[in-house]
Amino acid sequence: MVSKLSQLQTELLVALLESGLSKEALIQALGEPEPYLLAGDGSLDKGESCGGRGELAELPNGLGETRASEDETDDDGEDFTPPILKELENLSPEEAAHQKAVVESLLQEDPWRVAKMVKSYLQQHNIPQREVVDTTGLNQSHLSQHLNKGTPMKTQKRAALYTWYVRKQREVAQQFTHAGQGGLMEEPMGDELPTKKGRRNRFKWGPASQQILFQAYERQKNPSKEEREALVEECNRAECIQRGVSPSQAQGLGSNLVTEVRVYNWFANRRKEEAFRHKLAMDTYSGPPSGPGPGSALPAHSSPGLPPSALSPGKAHGVRYGQPATSEGAEVPSSSGGSLVTVSAPLHQVSPTGLEPSHSLLNTEAKLVSATGGPLPPVSTLTALHSLDQTSPGLNQQPQNLIMASLPGVMAIGPGEPASLGSTFTNTGTSTLVIGLASTQAQSVPVINSMGSSLTTLQPVQFSQPLHPSYQQPLMSPVQSHMAQNPFMATMAQLQSPHALYSHKPEVAQYTHTGLLPQTMLITDTGNLSALASLTPTKQVFASDTEASSESGLHTPASQAATIHIPSQDSAGIQQLQPSHRLSASPTVSSSSLVLYQSSESTNGHSHLLPSNHSVIETFISTQMASSSQ
Amino acid sequence: MAGKAHRLSAEERDQLLPNLRAVGWSELEGRDAIFKQFHFKDFNRAFGFMTRVALQAEKLDHHPEWFNVYNKVHITLSTHECAGLSERDINLASFIEQVAVSMT
Repeated sequence: MVSKLSQLQTELLVALLESGLSKEALIQALGEPEPYLLAGDGSLDKGESCGGRGELAELPNGLGETRASEDETDDDGEDFTPPILKELENLSPEEAAHQKAVVESLLQEDPWRVAKMVKSYLQQHNIPQREVVDTTGLNQSHLSQHLNKGTPMKTQKRAALYTWYVRKQREVAQQFTHAGQGGLMEEPMGDELPTKKGRRNRFKWGPASQQILFQAYERQKNPSKEEREALVEECNRAECIQRGVSPSQAQGLGSNLVTEVRVYNWFANRRKEEAFRHKLAMDTYSGPPSGPGPGSALPAHSSPGLPPSALSPGKAHGVRYGQPATSEGAEVPSSSGGSLVTVSAPLHQVSPTGLEPSHSLLNTEAKLVSATGGPLPPVSTLTALHSLDQTSPGLNQQPQNLIMASLPGVMAIGPGEPASLGSTFTNTGTSTLVIGLASTQAQSVPVINSMGSSLTTLQPVQFSQPLHPSYQQPLMSPVQSHMAQNPFMATMAQLQSPHALYSHKPEVAQYTHTGLLPQTMLITDTGNLSALASLTPTKQVFASDTEASSESGLHTPASQAATIHIPSQDSAGIQQLQPSHRLSASPTVSSSSLVLYQSSESTNGHSHLLPSNHSVIETFISTQMASSSQ
Repeated sequence: MAGKAHRLSAEERDQLLPNLRAVGWSELEGRDAIFKQFHFKDFNRAFGFMTRVALQAEKLDHHPEWFNVYNKVHITLSTHECAGLSERDINLASFIEQVAVSMT
């Protein structure tokens, strides 16, 4: 289309567009005559818009098509038409093209891997899924399934998702850089959508902050204003660090910025939670038959909504649920061992010595219900299962939770180990509850179950709701191995007590990909001295053969057969080490062992290493040789 | 308004100015400012460049002193509030460089 614009007009238009003005914005602005004093009115308008559009198509860097494609991929949800008077978006054509390229490359990759990336990004920045859904127009359930479970998603939709992702990263980066400038100059769309609905994302506690708060809570339940302020600083710093941003840019946290009020509320909620739990415990302690005081009518099923997760260690004793005989601790083993009951009925409980399961269950329910006859516990009680830290790593997930509620989906549980019952009132929040909950609602209902132990057997129970398997996997530290095995529990753990889960996070979460190879060296086939040589001196391990080792040239086919001249060669400048140390013919180049060591190829400085290894090497080699001579 | 209007210290200058000097910015005598001359193919390009810079200047709320004749643009950057060079000048200069490169 022949442009009707003069070259200058073209230049100016291009300049405008490059400065971040979108095509729509321009056209829209042209439709608003007032601020713009368009002298030429009609004809000029047409000329310019036509020219503008034509111009767009002509731009060599494909600005026009970039815009168009962005429009498509982002759906209507994404706001593309900020009023022209608003800050111009910083979307220069180069940047737009760059974003497009990134999206393309993401589309080529394995969708599941990218999903994991996106998911972890969401968690890192505590972005609610709702935001993604709003701006991409994707279906929330579909999105959630795709990110968490890998449910396939069509390319077009994935493109929308990735586009959002790329943009969001840019916005967040801008947000953080502008944070230091005292406020946002451009308001990134995802975080706050002032143009959209004027609604900010709901604040959400991040795991790092929660951990800090729980620790502080244990120290003191009622912090003063100064202490709260100190906590605010600390939490914000932690959140920034979690996002890989300098703490001085805390303002970039946007809606997830921790403020003193929020900290105050958090403490207040925890106190209420604890009071409620205490109350529950006290009530239930008085025994099932007596059906203590408040005796409000009890529904056949205690609603799952009843919370208390039970327990801080201090309360452990208090919670003798319904069966005094079967309190946790030492007694549990006896009763729980034998009496894990598979209850298809609502409550899950190990039948105590004298009580019938159903009976006790009902009582339990009664207990619980009546206990809650009073004010409803705060919803946030669910998060109280925070004693994760206190649980020894070796402990199996002890469902020392009070199982409350009718859990329609209660699973059969085999006999579990009573073992760790006692201490685990502190539960990692996971568990058992989960079972029932899994089927019903996301709300984690603490399992009030004196027996608890039965829950350990959750292991075999497979719930197809891994919390975030992807999330879990990379982040699982050894300490959490038990949780890892039980994704479901882990899931619930998170649902119930995000803290519990997250408390491990810090040690594990490396949001920034760390790709460091551990400096481990596995013993492998003998062989390559040079590899060995390049080992860090402290490690006296045998390097594997060439493949692993850096020396590429070492692959001299079977020059050396079975001799190890290592020691002899040693003294010399051992640069020639390589060839002489091929232990055997290539076949031994078994790549079975992996040598990961950080040293570089150069074989220097190994001389000191060799002599000491000499004898060891030989012995090792001989055994290896025997074994590896296929 | 961003709070970057403080005069650059000597260390900061040592850190930031060399990059600019390398691309042609010079420091003026008798005045704490940086200066550069740009040439373009013709007026249109020059003015297109100026337009881009202008839009960014508005965004940053920091404006250059400049002179233009046909295809030449002379730009002087300085911060009035601190009567000297500040971070804003450096930022704008970087942006100007970016634009100039993409234009010519």
